[in-house]
Amino acid sequence: MKDTIVCRCEEVTLQELEETARKYNSSARELKLLTRAGMGFCGGRTCRQAVDKVLTDITGEDPTNELPLKVAPPVRPLSLTDLGGLAKDE
Amino acid sequence: MQQLDVVIIGAGPAGLAAAIQCRENDLDVVVLDEFPKVGGRLLGQLHQEPSGEWWNGIEESKALQTKAESLNTDIRLGYSVYHIEKLEKQFVVHTKQQKFVTNNVLIATGAAESPAPIPGWTLPGVMSIGAAQVMTNVHRVKVGEKGIVVGVNVLSAAIARELQLAGVDLHSMALPTRNVVSEDQANPRLVMERLSRIAHLAPSKFIQFGSRFAKWKWVQDLVVQYYPKNGIKMWGMPIYLNKAIKQINGTDKVESVTMVDVTMHGDIIGNSEEEIPVDFVCIAGGLYPLAELAGVVGCPFIYSEELGGHVPVHNEKMETPVAGIYVAGNITGIESSKVAREQGKVAGLAIVIKEKNTSEITGKLQTAISEVKATRDAASIQFHPHIPEGRAKVSAAYDDLVKAQEVEKELEYV
Amino acid sequence: MNNRIVDHPVLGQIDQKRKVTFQFDGKTYEGFENDTIASALLAHGVRTLRKHEESGNPRGIYCNIGHCFECRVTVDGEDNVRACLTPIQENMVVESGQVQPHPLDPSKEGVKPRTYAEYKEQEGQK
Ligand SMILES: Cc1cc2nc3c(=O)[nH]c(=O)nc-3n(C[C@H](O)[C@H](O)[C@H](O)COP(=O)(O)OP(=O)(O)OC[C@H]3O[C@@H](n4cnc5c(N)ncnc54)[C@H](O)[C@@H]3O)c2cc1C
Ligand code: FES
Ligand code: FES
Repeated sequence: MKDTIVCRCEEVTLQELEETARKYNSSARELKLLTRAGMGFCGGRTCRQAVDKVLTDITGEDPTNELPLKVAPPVRPLSLTDLGGLAKDE
Repeated sequence: MQQLDVVIIGAGPAGLAAAIQCRENDLDVVVLDEFPKVGGRLLGQLHQEPSGEWWNGIEESKALQTKAESLNTDIRLGYSVYHIEKLEKQFVVHTKQQKFVTNNVLIATGAAESPAPIPGWTLPGVMSIGAAQVMTNVHRVKVGEKGIVVGVNVLSAAIARELQLAGVDLHSMALPTRNVVSEDQANPRLVMERLSRIAHLAPSKFIQFGSRFAKWKWVQDLVVQYYPKNGIKMWGMPIYLNKAIKQINGTDKVESVTMVDVTMHGDIIGNSEEEIPVDFVCIAGGLYPLAELAGVVGCPFIYSEELGGHVPVHNEKMETPVAGIYVAGNITGIESSKVAREQGKVAGLAIVIKEKNTSEITGKLQTAISEVKATRDAASIQFHPHIPEGRAKVSAAYDDLVKAQEVEKELEYV
Repeated sequence: MNNRIVDHPVLGQIDQKRKVTFQFDGKTYEGFENDTIASALLAHGVRTLRKHEESGNPRGIYCNIGHCFECRVTVDGEDNVRACLTPIQENMVVESGQVQPHPLDPSKEGVKPRTYAEYKEQEGQK
């Protein structure tokens, strides 16, 4: 059977998340940094819910009122030239 | 740089309704949306009301757009907002094209779809159910020759019907196989319970039967247990709560799916694999509030399962504890577009009252607030049965936060 | 154009708007004004819009409303443009995303790790 990809952008699988968690006994946050799940091009918009559920299941950390994966600007990826352009008219 | 009274992010029913109120009261408004058409997710909607009348999203959007345009509303399409920066008293809304400085921001970015990951779901030809809706009703392009819907819920049932109406052939609707993520969508018992709530939309004796006994869990159990082997049919298409999709197959694009039989608890029954040729697959994992921009500007959040996930804390006037930041529509919880529209009206009026420092229209605002509740109660599509409870939780969180802020201020003077 | 929903029992006839021609990976396609790149291509049966930068796995539209970034293509030289949000224009040149030569390719020896997990792995081996 094929692997189940959870994070499409970074092609992180369910199996990979589970194995990494077991190996490093990591918290939800660490697991994200370790695998890059949720840190891809879409900023986690597609996988955030899924990654969060997997992490809750693995680490036993309940969903809090905080956003599960902290969102940081830009919420839409920008090219460096765009950022440069923005800096100019500041 | 443009100086504005309010920037509205999202030209869906919530954003447009708010813009209309603001323009009627002469505020300087810009509405930003990244989609190339006005109307947001309302555009794709098409379903029959219990009265038999069609809810035609394109027409409804057009009505809002015409009204907004008659008031000279500045609507910019193709503008993606990627950041809201907080200044002392104002905000800077960042887009690739331009920055906007404004006293107020209404975030009306709507909802996004939750995934239901299954092996093979990254293949071209696999798309979210909402993607198929937009392709079919908005762009008028067939998503394929024959497909299957994975995930049975209010939204996917409505959209499956829309695909059929447009002449797109569906093999059936089935569940995803169970994994940590899809647990909710893969449990026939839970799915049946949710389906019962849209019985009025589902011309199926079986579901209507189930819905009559919706309150009795043991009847629901029986209903699932006696689920017909060949599925029940809605509009001639089988809906299987006893079959699940285990995997999507293909090398460069979707060629088939592997379907298996499942028990009433969603466990796979051995030796039941069947390969079904399809060229597209729609994944329906449900909706969640798209609230990232509220997060970026520092709005506090609360988790509410009833409302579909994390929502920015706000009060009845759609104000967040960050003065000048308002929210309306599905960002505050997953509900129908009629509710979103009424919420937008409330937010618009609240912004007018703040900007004009007037109490003239407070009566109007109160009416609009009760209109939201009335619309909610009368909604024919309900994504969750306990929405009022979720709403109460959010309001309570707002009150708590504001009280805490007041106490903090007092302490500063001590 | 074959995959069009021309007649619809509730929405009526499709708006036969002005035709627009554009290029995708060197081939010329025709779509309607107000089509997005994604809808115009799908009307011609084109599903694959890019290859995953690292694995090379093919990808097409997933959300169709700008959230997932799976449909990103290069438009008139600009990278990472979402095909599902971008209306086609006359003579527009669209190119699919390809595998990127990756300086951090973990399959090559002596290269930098792609993830923190790989970093730890490499550290462990030393
Ligand atoms: C795919 C999908 C299908 C749906 N189908 C149905 C249905 O059939 N029936 C039903 O009752 N409800 C449906 N809904 C629920 C729907 O969210 C509500 O009915 C209603 O449209 C919500 O209105 P809104 O104004 O809050 O948001 P929306 O109508 O979603 O409008 C939000 C707008 O904000 C824009 N936006 C978001 N982020 C940004 C940004 N960063 N920058 C610029 N613009 C941005 C979007 O492009 C969008 O146009 C669906 C939701 C989704 C996501
Ligand atoms: S799907 Fe995981 S970051 Fe995009
Ligand atoms: S298909 Fe998801 S962003 Fe275009």
